[in-house]
Amino acid sequence: MDCTIDELMIACMARSLKGEVLVSSVTALGALSAHLAKKTHAPDLAVLSTPESGMEVTPLPTLTLGQFLTDDQRGIPLTMEDIFDAIFLDRFRIWISPAQIDRHGNVNISCVGPWEQPKVALVGARGIPEDTSHLSEILYYVTSHSPRTVVEQVDFRSGAGNGAERDRLLGRRGAPTRLVTNLGVFDFGGADGTLRAVSLHPGVTREAVAQGSGCEIDLPADLPETALPSAADVAVIRSADPLGARKLEFLSGREAAQRLVEIYERERQALHIAAWPRRARIS
Amino acid sequence: MDKQTGIAEVVESIPRGATIAIGGSSLSRKPMGMVRALAARGQGDYTLVVDVGGPDVDLLLGCGKVAKVIYAFVGFEVMGLAPHFRRARESGSVEFEEWTEYTVMAGLDATVKGVPFLPTHAGLATDLMAVNHSFRTMRDPFEGEEIVAVPALRPDFALIHANLADHQGNAVILGDGHVDVLCAKAARHTILSAERIVSSEEIQRYGREVQVHRVHVEGVVEMPWGAHFSGCAPYYRADLGHVQEYLLAARDPAEWDRYRERFVTDRPDDYLDALGGMETLVGRLDV
Repeated sequence: MDCTIDELMIACMARSLKGEVLVSSVTALGALSAHLAKKTHAPDLAVLSTPESGMEVTPLPTLTLGQFLTDDQRGIPLTMEDIFDAIFLDRFRIWISPAQIDRHGNVNISCVGPWEQPKVALVGARGIPEDTSHLSEILYYVTSHSPRTVVEQVDFRSGAGNGAERDRLLGRRGAPTRLVTNLGVFDFGGADGTLRAVSLHPGVTREAVAQGSGCEIDLPADLPETALPSAADVAVIRSADPLGARKLEFLSGREAAQRLVEIYERERQALHIAAWPRRARIS
Repeated sequence: MDKQTGIAEVVESIPRGATIAIGGSSLSRKPMGMVRALAARGQGDYTLVVDVGGPDVDLLLGCGKVAKVIYAFVGFEVMGLAPHFRRARESGSVEFEEWTEYTVMAGLDATVKGVPFLPTHAGLATDLMAVNHSFRTMRDPFEGEEIVAVPALRPDFALIHANLADHQGNAVILGDGHVDVLCAKAARHTILSAERIVSSEEIQRYGREVQVHRVHVEGVVEMPWGAHFSGCAPYYRADLGHVQEYLLAARDPAEWDRYRERFVTDRPDDYLDALGGMETLVGRLDV
């Protein structure tokens, strides 16, 4: 099946979601992977909306920044306490997109350079410390796999990876389990819980991964090619995101912001049409 | 008791150096009308406490009103990083303390429950433990494991924007309550703004959607579009066009001065006029 890299990544991400757990949809790729998993192999997933937390919602990707547009999209309302209780009880999954991830699966969304005097101040640890101390599956994705994003050691540990400190303080609770990038699918089955390739995307060579990473990655000899999504999978993704919000995570900051403003407005118009079908169709 | 007040009185009542918890989350239901008034006329040197911050923290930083920020997150999501937050972090001109989403909740909850701290595993094996000097680790007295002690957070003020409120300070939040109820309970003084003030009879019809209760509230200000340019579900969406305008203006000092002159005011009517009036906003953002 012909598909683009965003669709391939979403399909890979969907394969890790299963069972009856809350699934965050805080980013477009996260939302679409939850949606695809629920439509295919994991019908019991309770997909959340953001930021107005509701359960049993079909996520609209741009609403990662927006609001419910109609009461229909509200689903079953949840509180912050409900969400963190689900995290502490390990009944929650989230795909996290860190600015940096290192060989041991530590992640950083706080700063580039030293925290006290950062070269670039990013956003702050948010809920990652909670996730990486409680969940039995910790899922990361990176849309631009490069020596700047996949590094030997993160500048700041916003989330706990593998290592002696974790083993002593947390055991396996919250340990990293998966990384999906634009080059391949990885786990942390390398020596001492380090990055190891599980499959490489079509056309991606072992050399491209080695050169494209800022750290050594275990590349087993018999490395398969990532399975492509089926035509039906791709159709589910495209129909859930007709305006292409999933492409934004592959654009530069300013370009993404401009595109989002446009998509946000088109989505509002489209939903108004859905609510009042007699209005003229706006293309 | 009739707790209705005006925005000028609210700004007046918050002293220099106060610790202020701000409700809402990210671009959702931030009390931006009150924040703008503080940014325009507030006495400053505030310590801000936010769980998930964005335009609130950034605007107050950009207007020089902040001495310290306690936060789990400050940003504009896919729209970009928070420009004044970034500048202040990088220059070291303001004190920052990075917390996490649950630990901010736990700190507020500790105050509500009257205990000095609440324990959690969140933060262990991360570098937060090195840079956040408020957190301590301790031995769990039962099992002997190391845990994090999150100290009580006691804001002087909490600012919250609600969909509806009555004159006594009961407030309906129709969307996600975020951490607003915790803020309202933990703060010494809680001030609400609301899209509309309604009668106490009408507010009772909302049942469990009355999330904030009057015993925790000291002041109520009626302020239509009081969350703009964040959203107020289900009434209106975040104004991403304005977010973009804000982010562009923040890149250049002269542009930023112009932005402040146009939009940063303690008079909500002037703000709505500067945006082209309520009808324009309804056309663009009403849902």
